[in-house]
Amino acid sequence: MTTPHSTEARFPRVTTASGERYDGVIDLERVRAAHHPLHQQRTEVTADGNTAAAYATLQMWRCIIYPGFPITPSTKWIETVAATLAADPSTKKRVKLLEAEHAVADYMVGAAAACRDLILPTATSSVGLDHMTETTRSMGASGLGNIMIINVYRATANYPLCIEGDPSDTLAHRDDGFIQICARGKQQIYDTVLQSPCLGMHADILTPTMPGYYGIKDSHRNARLVLEPDSEIHAFQDRWIRPSELPGLINGDTAFGNCVTSKYFQGFKVDQKRRMEKVFEVLPQIGADFERTFGRPGLAYFDAVGWPADGAVDLAVVSMGPDFGTFEAIRDDWAKHTGLKVAGLAVRLLTPFPREALRQRLQRARVVLVVNQAHHAGRGHLTLDVADALSDLATPPRIVSTFAGLGGADVSEATWEKMLDQGRLAVAGRAVPPYAVFHEGMAL
Amino acid sequence: MSGPRDSLEKVKEAAVNLLDPRELLRSSVLEIRGDGKAGGGLVLAFQSLAALLLRDSDVHVQEWPFFSSARRGANIRSFLRVSRRPVTAACEVTRPAMVLLMDEVAAYATDFAQGVPPGGTFVLNTRHTPEECARHYRLSGRVVTIAGDSIGQQHLKASIGNVSAYVAMAEAIGGFSREDVVDTFLRTLRRRHVPEAVLERNRTALTASFDGVHTGTFDFASPGDHAGQVFEGYGQLPVGAQTALRLSEANRTANFAPSGFRLRFADPANSCTGCAHCITNCPEGIILFVPDSERGVKVTGAEVSQFCKLCQECIAVCPENLFVSAPFEEHWEEEATIR
Repeated sequence: MTTPHSTEARFPRVTTASGERYDGVIDLERVRAAHHPLHQQRTEVTADGNTAAAYATLQMWRCIIYPGFPITPSTKWIETVAATLAADPSTKKRVKLLEAEHAVADYMVGAAAACRDLILPTATSSVGLDHMTETTRSMGASGLGNIMIINVYRATANYPLCIEGDPSDTLAHRDDGFIQICARGKQQIYDTVLQSPCLGMHADILTPTMPGYYGIKDSHRNARLVLEPDSEIHAFQDRWIRPSELPGLINGDTAFGNCVTSKYFQGFKVDQKRRMEKVFEVLPQIGADFERTFGRPGLAYFDAVGWPADGAVDLAVVSMGPDFGTFEAIRDDWAKHTGLKVAGLAVRLLTPFPREALRQRLQRARVVLVVNQAHHAGRGHLTLDVADALSDLATPPRIVSTFAGLGGADVSEATWEKMLDQGRLAVAGRAVPPYAVFHEGMAL
Repeated sequence: MSGPRDSLEKVKEAAVNLLDPRELLRSSVLEIRGDGKAGGGLVLAFQSLAALLLRDSDVHVQEWPFFSSARRGANIRSFLRVSRRPVTAACEVTRPAMVLLMDEVAAYATDFAQGVPPGGTFVLNTRHTPEECARHYRLSGRVVTIAGDSIGQQHLKASIGNVSAYVAMAEAIGGFSREDVVDTFLRTLRRRHVPEAVLERNRTALTASFDGVHTGTFDFASPGDHAGQVFEGYGQLPVGAQTALRLSEANRTANFAPSGFRLRFADPANSCTGCAHCITNCPEGIILFVPDSERGVKVTGAEVSQFCKLCQECIAVCPENLFVSAPFEEHWEEEATIR
């Protein structure tokens, strides 16, 4: 029955060939006005990685629903969100605790499709992400760039189980169709979560994002964190997130789980790939705007350390995650001791992999030492990507592939030195194995 | 920076060049490591210490715990790096200038003093004196003790020493006002949404802790003591899915019992009914019994030294109340029987 206050009375129902819609039912200005700022001015706190990620999502006016299911080491994300919202009885934002991760993923699809202008965040890890797999593949292709799965790296479903930081979960989901960005350190985690939706919801990209960071090593590590005022975050995001040109479930048509013939399946995949490639164009722009706005480095393909202007180094290290910081700490001493020029890259954009940028950066290195931290059937996920990036150079650098820190194992200074020594052997033209695993200063 | 507190007990001055934590912080990096048991408050103590150090806006810290998927009571570690320069190193702290032993049972399975250079600072939550600890653990450097569990029992109604251990560490580093030390810990607790009444009890425990700190300098370590372990590879590991990885027999899980308590059995009146509920409910099969012609079985005790986690199932089901959770302080004697 239609009453003066019913939805149908206020927002006329329009029947279309593919369903019905209620034009004007979504009022984003009301959503924005209902946001309660977490911080009115720049604030410094002590926080771990999960808390940093939680604060970032709490400060976005477009985040109003936080679906989730706890799993170590990501649990504190939803705990922090829930505790913060519970402390503000008048907030309109809600946590939605679901039965399992698959339910979280399905719920996110529904909510994200209902309104493409809202951001739907969650955090998960390891088997939690695996449980979502049936849906993440669809999400990746869905065009729902407003979905953000924060993946706190933990060894994926495995024997034996392990709860510590190992990126095998995120690397097992490279083909899900998400934009995957690795962050290290509290500030970079916070900053990355703030920027990710700008990338995913960009009209040329419309691809969900999966910012991530290492479990325990970063999720549970406390340090100083600078929080920006909500108003400035909103202004920044609003520059990049324009009202969606596509309708959602509420105000138009969005379908999920359609079946098409192979001919069109392929077409959809070509389009998906094309949108993904746009990341290379848009990501640096967002990163530059972030840096101009907040004075800290924004999104980038990688963190570069120790590179001379001409890019000519004896040994280039390619790795990811917080253990790269230990390399940074010993780099000077090791370089002085050996007389070699050593520089490093901590990869941040995992998917799509920044082939061109890596090739440009590494082309004048004599040897590239790749440090993988996830189990792989061959020479390592990162190694294969680096090899691919360098493959069409006339004289590609020699690649030395190593593994360290599997299952989140400690990567000590001695281990770094041993791996660098392996690189030094290659610089000297000596034979090195196709790959080797290192721990506590030993090649295993 | 304040000097040693007047109330601190200097038992014996030894010829050890002490590493000054404040000086390390100023000139390079101060690295601290803590050993304790999951659920014992080690993480909170380290988080609070990190927050206390961060009150100085020029200081950078990095604080994180290391724990496994094992249950409450299992060994855990915490790490803290403090410097006036940004801290990038992400590896574990292996040569700490200061260590904390939050729970002496944690020392059964790990050498809390490993890698500490001579002249380092050793903070222990214990009822023993600094000299007794220095002798027992063979320590060279500054030894700081506090009977944190007793203070916790008195003010928090629980045998939990993290409040006092935090105060002892802050005193060992030096340079903080009592007000800041108390206020920072309470702020950390507030972030965990702890009720006001509990905060007040913690305030009382914190305040009481300052006068419970004892310190002395000793030189009891021999060359080679507490040397860093050399990794020699993994050796032969069981092939995946073998049971050795998941049975408690592979671990001395009695260490998981709440600090300061052990299961005790006493049947002076010979009142065991032979109902065998304790035997069938014990998850570890450690109830001792003998055949009995009248009762079927007669329970004679429990072998608690290896696997009793004090789950209290036997206490709950015994109709004659023959099992109790009793105070236990003889850690050093027990430790000797294990090694």
